[in-house]
Amino acid sequence: MFTLHGTGVGFGIAIGAARLIRRPDQEVLEYSILPEQVGQEIQRLTDGIHSATECLSTYYEDLREESTDEVHAILDAHLLMVQDPILLEQSALIIRERLVNAEFALQLHCENLQAVFRDIDDPYMRSKSDEISQVIGRIQDELLGQHAGQSSLEGIREGEIVVTHDLMPADTIEYKKYRVGAFLTNLGGPISHTAILARSMQIPAIVGLHEGIRYLKTGDTLIIDGKRGVVLVEPDDAALDVYEKRAAKIKRVTRELEVIKYKPATTLDGQTVELNANIEFAEELKQSLECNASGIGLYRTESLYMNRRDFPDEAEQFDVYSTLLNSTERPVTIRTLDLGADKQVDGGRRNMSLATNPALGRRAIRLCLHDLTLFKPQLRALYRASIYGDLRIMVPMISSQDELDQLFIVLDEIRDELTRENLPFKPHIPVGGMIEVPAAAVTADMFAKRLDFLSIGTNDLIQYTLAIDRIDDEVNYLYDPLHPAVLRLVKSVIDAAQNAGIPVSMCGEMAGDIECTRILLALGLREFSMDSTVISEVKQRVRGTRIGEMEPIVRDLLTTNESDRYRDLIQLING
Amino acid sequence: MRLEQDIRVINKLGVHTRAASKLVKLCSQFDCSIQISNGKRQADAKSIMSVMMLAACQGTELKMVVEGEDAAEAIRQITDLFESCFEERE
Repeated sequence: MFTLHGTGVGFGIAIGAARLIRRPDQEVLEYSILPEQVGQEIQRLTDGIHSATECLSTYYEDLREESTDEVHAILDAHLLMVQDPILLEQSALIIRERLVNAEFALQLHCENLQAVFRDIDDPYMRSKSDEISQVIGRIQDELLGQHAGQSSLEGIREGEIVVTHDLMPADTIEYKKYRVGAFLTNLGGPISHTAILARSMQIPAIVGLHEGIRYLKTGDTLIIDGKRGVVLVEPDDAALDVYEKRAAKIKRVTRELEVIKYKPATTLDGQTVELNANIEFAEELKQSLECNASGIGLYRTESLYMNRRDFPDEAEQFDVYSTLLNSTERPVTIRTLDLGADKQVDGGRRNMSLATNPALGRRAIRLCLHDLTLFKPQLRALYRASIYGDLRIMVPMISSQDELDQLFIVLDEIRDELTRENLPFKPHIPVGGMIEVPAAAVTADMFAKRLDFLSIGTNDLIQYTLAIDRIDDEVNYLYDPLHPAVLRLVKSVIDAAQNAGIPVSMCGEMAGDIECTRILLALGLREFSMDSTVISEVKQRVRGTRIGEMEPIVRDLLTTNESDRYRDLIQLING
Repeated sequence: MRLEQDIRVINKLGVHTRAASKLVKLCSQFDCSIQISNGKRQADAKSIMSVMMLAACQGTELKMVVEGEDAAEAIRQITDLFESCFEERE
């Protein structure tokens, strides 16, 4: 038994078998072979290709039924790639000439291919080089004796612990479909995508293990303590016993939270608070309603755009939005496209730029206003869907009044177009802004005068205010939602909205963090939006809070310059 | 039999993934060798990776060299495939 340490995120304790998932850039070892072993090594290569082909065909056969034409084309191409005659021929040649193992020969051939693809002018074709390394990675997996599909998600069994270098936003969307037990990653911090995903799946994760995962292999028994950030590898019976008991206790607490699901979110001094849900897929509405969310405070529409090559057109988006709105009478806030930064779409004709600092680049509303052919179909679909429910439209990352001017011109155009085309829409759809750029927080009063509501996006607001890249695990220890600068900005946004008489909510991770709940209540926040899985927990905290008692302490918190006192105050608030 | 023919990519998306798959599947049915080149890039038409590397977009002039007994039939069917825009709606 030994332990690994990282940043624990997510929920509770998981006990299960490790499942290593390679990333395409993982190192493949080189071994020398003797000239008389060449034939044997080429046979290994052929066998590897053969079993990779078989494994892919079976997997794709299953997928085929439920996927679109676009996916079929990709699956077909992958099957042809894995059986590509030149792939075998060239790799066999490398084995023969350089006397190396088959995995490494494939790696060298893959690198040659990558070099050619890098020079292709067409960005779409250039993006295909990733698929080639994935396919070659599958053959390498077979050669390394790992079972079918370990380079990707297929074949993952329920309860297994996914161990990988890092999860990409596109992966996270895939993972929601599998009931894995936990995630372990080398990279990532407390609000990386892995963390957000783990919380939403109510499973633990340990991120920022640095090179820790290299000590693990598929099949190892692991105990993941999400709260403490500890991985116990091949635990002894005593450790297993302790953790099984703890896991059982966590389950019990979870059941207790079930009980308060249908109780109101009212504080001890009688203030009622709205607890909304954040969702990423329209299908999550059901789960949110089961958690008794007051409504949907944030529907992130990016998932509609990711893991595909084209963009969803107006008709497709209209279908999704109208179905969603039709399934609930509760308010639904839909955020317009927030692509860019760490959420890049796959290839496609609008290949996103790879700016050195994408978080500060052309993303979200900047991208949408720059490319109206991207923005307008979404807005038209939203307007048209508005008649099916209680829709609010939220625009991410606004930072200047100019952007608002442009936005309103586009919205006017949309209304004119739809009127001309005789397409029905609600005349007054509330349009709000996500306040996540410090510039917008500081001038929130100006935005509050022109918008119907504000919503504080804390993930970005914190990273921009504290100048910390949230996906850089070397600085994420500095990420502090309770930094006085953050709290003051949050307060000024709440004040600005209250002065203008418009609603203000918070939809970042901070809204679902019970360590922040009381402080936010004292700052005047009455609308929260969070992952539906934490609603009960936050509600329990709300129900145990007397806002009147918190207010003077939080006032102190915003002005004290002694860090000891600051910590004491936080403890007092959450004690 | 060795035949050569120039062929022009007329469909909008060029020889993208789906088109490349169709081309490779078609070519693999023939016994003859089929080489396609785009300028100095040359591809074995039975290898999807090399076909993709041609990066043949709309308007590209490709050169086809086909060698083998069924070369004529291969050329005919390949030309049809290009002319039908890879049987896709544009």
